Amino acid sequence: MTRHDAIVIGAGVNGLVAATVLARAGLDVCVIEQSDRLGGMATLSVDDGPELAHLVHNLSPRVRRDIGLDPHRWPFRQTALPTVALDESGRHVIVTRNAVTFADGTAHPDARACLALTARLRRYGELLRMLAEAAPPGGDAPLASARGLRQILRLGRFGLGLRGLGRAEARRFLQVLLSNAYDLIRDDLPEGPLAGMLAADAVRGIAQGPRSPGTVFTLIHRYGHGGVAALPQGGMSAVVDALAQAARDVGCTLRTGVRATGIQLQDDRVCAVTTASGETLLTSRVLVGSGPRLAAELVGAGAFDIEAMRRIGRIRARGVAAKVNLRLDRMPDVPGLNADQLRGRLVFAPGADYVEAAFNPAKYGEMSDNPVIEAVIRDEGAIWLSAVVQYAPSDLNGGWSDAARAALARRTLATLGRAIPGLDARVRETQVIAPDAIAAATGAPGGHWHHAEMTLDQILTLRPANGIGRYAIGPRGLFLCGASTHPGGDVMGLAGRNAAREVLG
Amino acid sequence: MSVVTDPDVGLVPGPVHDRIAALSRAQGWYGWAGHAAPSVLDTVEFEYFALRNQAALLDISPMHKYRVTGPGATAMLNRMVTRDVRRIAIGRVGYAVWCDEDGMVIDDGTLFRLAEDDWRLCCQEPMLSWLADACVGFDASVSDESHSIAGLALQGPTSFAVLRAAGFDVARLRPFDLTDAAPGIMVSRTGFTGDLGYELWTGWDEATALWDRLWRAGTDLGLRAIGYDAVNIARIEAGFLTAGVDFQPVHAVERLHRGKTPLELGLGRMVDMAKGHFNGRRALAGPRRHPRSLLLRVDVEGFKPAQDALVYHRRRREVGHITSGVWSPTAKRNIALAHVAMPWARRHPPDLWAEIYTLQEGRWDRRMARLTPVKHSFYAPPRARATPPGLT
Repeated sequence: MTRHDAIVIGAGVNGLVAATVLARAGLDVCVIEQSDRLGGMATLSVDDGPELAHLVHNLSPRVRRDIGLDPHRWPFRQTALPTVALDESGRHVIVTRNAVTFADGTAHPDARACLALTARLRRYGELLRMLAEAAPPGGDAPLASARGLRQILRLGRFGLGLRGLGRAEARRFLQVLLSNAYDLIRDDLPEGPLAGMLAADAVRGIAQGPRSPGTVFTLIHRYGHGGVAALPQGGMSAVVDALAQAARDVGCTLRTGVRATGIQLQDDRVCAVTTASGETLLTSRVLVGSGPRLAAELVGAGAFDIEAMRRIGRIRARGVAAKVNLRLDRMPDVPGLNADQLRGRLVFAPGADYVEAAFNPAKYGEMSDNPVIEAVIRDEGAIWLSAVVQYAPSDLNGGWSDAARAALARRTLATLGRAIPGLDARVRETQVIAPDAIAAATGAPGGHWHHAEMTLDQILTLRPANGIGRYAIGPRGLFLCGASTHPGGDVMGLAGRNAAREVLG
Repeated sequence: MSVVTDPDVGLVPGPVHDRIAALSRAQGWYGWAGHAAPSVLDTVEFEYFALRNQAALLDISPMHKYRVTGPGATAMLNRMVTRDVRRIAIGRVGYAVWCDEDGMVIDDGTLFRLAEDDWRLCCQEPMLSWLADACVGFDASVSDESHSIAGLALQGPTSFAVLRAAGFDVARLRPFDLTDAAPGIMVSRTGFTGDLGYELWTGWDEATALWDRLWRAGTDLGLRAIGYDAVNIARIEAGFLTAGVDFQPVHAVERLHRGKTPLELGLGRMVDMAKGHFNGRRALAGPRRHPRSLLLRVDVEGFKPAQDALVYHRRRREVGHITSGVWSPTAKRNIALAHVAMPWARRHPPDLWAEIYTLQEGRWDRRMARLTPVKHSFYAPPRARATPPGLT
C-alpha cells in the first residue's frame, strides 16, 4: 500500500492546480483521474474534434504564480480574440477591449456607451476578484488568530477598494450587483447585436436568462480578469499540459485511468482512498474535484450530518450549454467579415430579448428553438467550427436521444445560417456533446459549466451550499476543490488554489 | 409544541375519546398534537394517587409514531440519534435523543426494535420530514403511523395485576422489553412515570376494545382513567424531561441559541462518541463539548412550587430558571428541574436560590428558596424494576 500526504480525485483544471499548490508546500500529492486524459471538462473532446472549452476568459495570474510558473507569462501563446456580434443583415459589430466598430470599420453609434459599460464591469470585476482570490469569509478561526487577522485584512482591503470606486460609483455598484443583466445593459444600449452579445456573456453556461436576478454578478464574473477572450495556441490541451507540467515539476504523481470507489475513515478522519482496481491509497487528506455529491457517495452518507446531505441534494446544477462541433470543408464566407474577423469570437445573439426568449423553453425542459451561440472557427489541418450552444438543458424532456442531438445540430446550423449563409453546405461532420454526455464523461454535476449554478444563493460562503462553503466537508481531511466551490469554474483555477490553501491551513 | 391546530377544525377526538369523555367530570381538555386530551378527569389528587398506589390508564395515541424499515434502517437511525442503537436488542425499547448539526436537541423519544431492520420511533414532535431527510443515502424508508397506531399507557403498582386479569401474560417482561401479547396488541414495559407500568399499542380502531378490556379487568384493582396533570407530577418525580418545557426542541425555536445540547440536558450518558459519526457529533466533539448550562434536579426549600422561578447565585446574580417545579406528594419534597448557567451549575457549595412569587388572596409576595442539587430521580420505587412484578 502506498501512502501520500494528499490525494486529489479528478485531474481537472482545479484538481491539477490544487495538487501543485499542495506539493509546493512540501506535501507528497497523488492525483487520480478516472478517464485516460487530464483536464476534465476543459479538454473533453470526441474523435479529435475541438475541446469542450475553446477560449480562456478568466485563467488566473494568481494561480500561475502559486503553481510556480513564470510570474508574467503562461508557457503557451495566447491570442486575444475580438468579439464579433453577428448580425443577420451583415452589419456585424467588432468589439475589442478598446474599440467598438462595425465590421467595415465605420463608427458604431453606441461605441462610447458600450465601452463605458464594459469599463465599469471591468472595475467591478477587479473589486470582486479580491473576494475570489481567497476562501470565502467566515469559518471558525478566532478573530485574534493569524487566519482571523488575514481575513479582516482582506475584507478591509475590499472595503477600501469599494471606497476607491468613489461614492457615486460605489453606490451604483451596490445598486446593480444583485440585479439582472438585461436592465443594466438596456439602460445604456439599445436593443441589437451589441446588447445581445453582452446578455449572452452574462448567462453563458448558466441556467438563467438575462432577466434573471443576479445575472449582473455573472456578467461581472466574465469581466473578472479583464473580460478578454483569448485563444490558447494548441487549444485547451496546451493550458492543461502547462498545469500538468507544473504539477509534475514539483513531484505530484498524476495517474489516469484510476477510478476512486471509496474514501475510508478512521475516527472521523480520512485515512485512505480505495480504487476500482482494488488498490488502497493511504492518506490523511482527500480533495474531491467533482463536487459534494461524489464526495458523499465515496465516503457514505452516514459520515455527513443530515442537514449537509439535504443541502447537497438540493444544490442546483442544471447544465444548459451543449457543444456542437462542425467540421467544414473550407472556411465559410460571411458577408461583411474579413478573414481575420472570421477567426474572432463569433457570438450569435441578435438582441437581449432574443437571449431571454432562448431561455424560456429551458425552463420547461426543452431546448431553444433559436439558441444563443458562441463560436470559434479554427483552421489547424482540419477546419472546425466549435460552438457553445445554449440553451440545451441536461434534463431535456424525453432525454438526450440521437434524435434530440440531431435536432440541436439542426437548430444550431439554422441559427448560424442566419448570419453565415450557406454554412450547411460546408459541413462534413457534426458532433453534439450534450450536458448528459459531459456529466457522464467528466463527473461534472448536471454537465454544468460551473458544477453548480452561479446564483446569489450559491456563491461565496453558500457555494456550493451553506455549511460547506469553505472547502472542508464532513469528516476531517476531506475537502472539495472543484468548480462547485467558490469562486466557480470557467478554467480559472482559483477554486483549486483556494481549496489547497485551506487544506494547508 | 409545533403542531398548530386549525381553528376551523379545532381539536379532534382521539381513538378512545368516547370513553374518556364519559368519565370526564372536570371537563378539562387540552390540545395534544391536535387531539383533545384530558388534563384532568375529576381531580389531580385522586388521579395522581391512583397512579402511585393503584393503576392509571391514559391515552397516549397523540404521540407521533414513525416506522423505520429496510436493510439500512439500523444504520440510518444510528447516524440520527446520539446513542448506539445497535445495542438495542430485538424486542427491546431504548430511550434516544437526536440533535441537529450544531449538536442541539431536536427531540427525544423511544425506539422500539421490532425486528432486525424494523423500528418504531415514538416522540412528541412531528418528525416525518426530518426522518425522510435522514433516510437519504440509506436503504431505509419511513412511514407515519401516528394515526394508525393507538397507544394506551397503563401505569402504577397494580398495572401488572390489571394486565393479568385482562388475560395478558407479561410476567417475564423486563423493563424496556416489548412483546406481542395478543394478535395485534403489542405491550412494552415502558412509561413516563418512573413507576411500574406498561404501554399497549394497537390499531387506531381497536383501541376502544382494548380500553374496555383493561377497564373491565381493572374494576377491582383500583384502575382509574387519568389526565396529563397527574402524569406531569409523576414525570417530574422521575426526573423525565418534557419537550417544549424542560428544553426547547431546536426545530421549533426561531430565536438563536435557544437550543440545548444533550450534555446540557444531563443526557451525556445517551451520547456515544465512540460509535462513529452521528448527527451533531462534530459539534459535540468540538465547540459544544463544554456545556453552557446544565439542567439540574433540585430540592427546593419550603413547600411552594417553584415553577418558572428565576434562579440566582448567592441571591444576587441571575444564573438560570426553573422549567418544571412541583410539590411531590410521594417524596414529600418540593422538587424542580432548573437550567443553571455554567460555571454556577457546578460550583461547590452551590449557593443557588429560586425567587418564587406567591399570590395569596390578592397579595403578591416573593420568597427566596434555597436550591439543593440532587443526583438521582426524586422518586424511584424498586417495584418499577422488579421482574416478575408484584401484583400490588
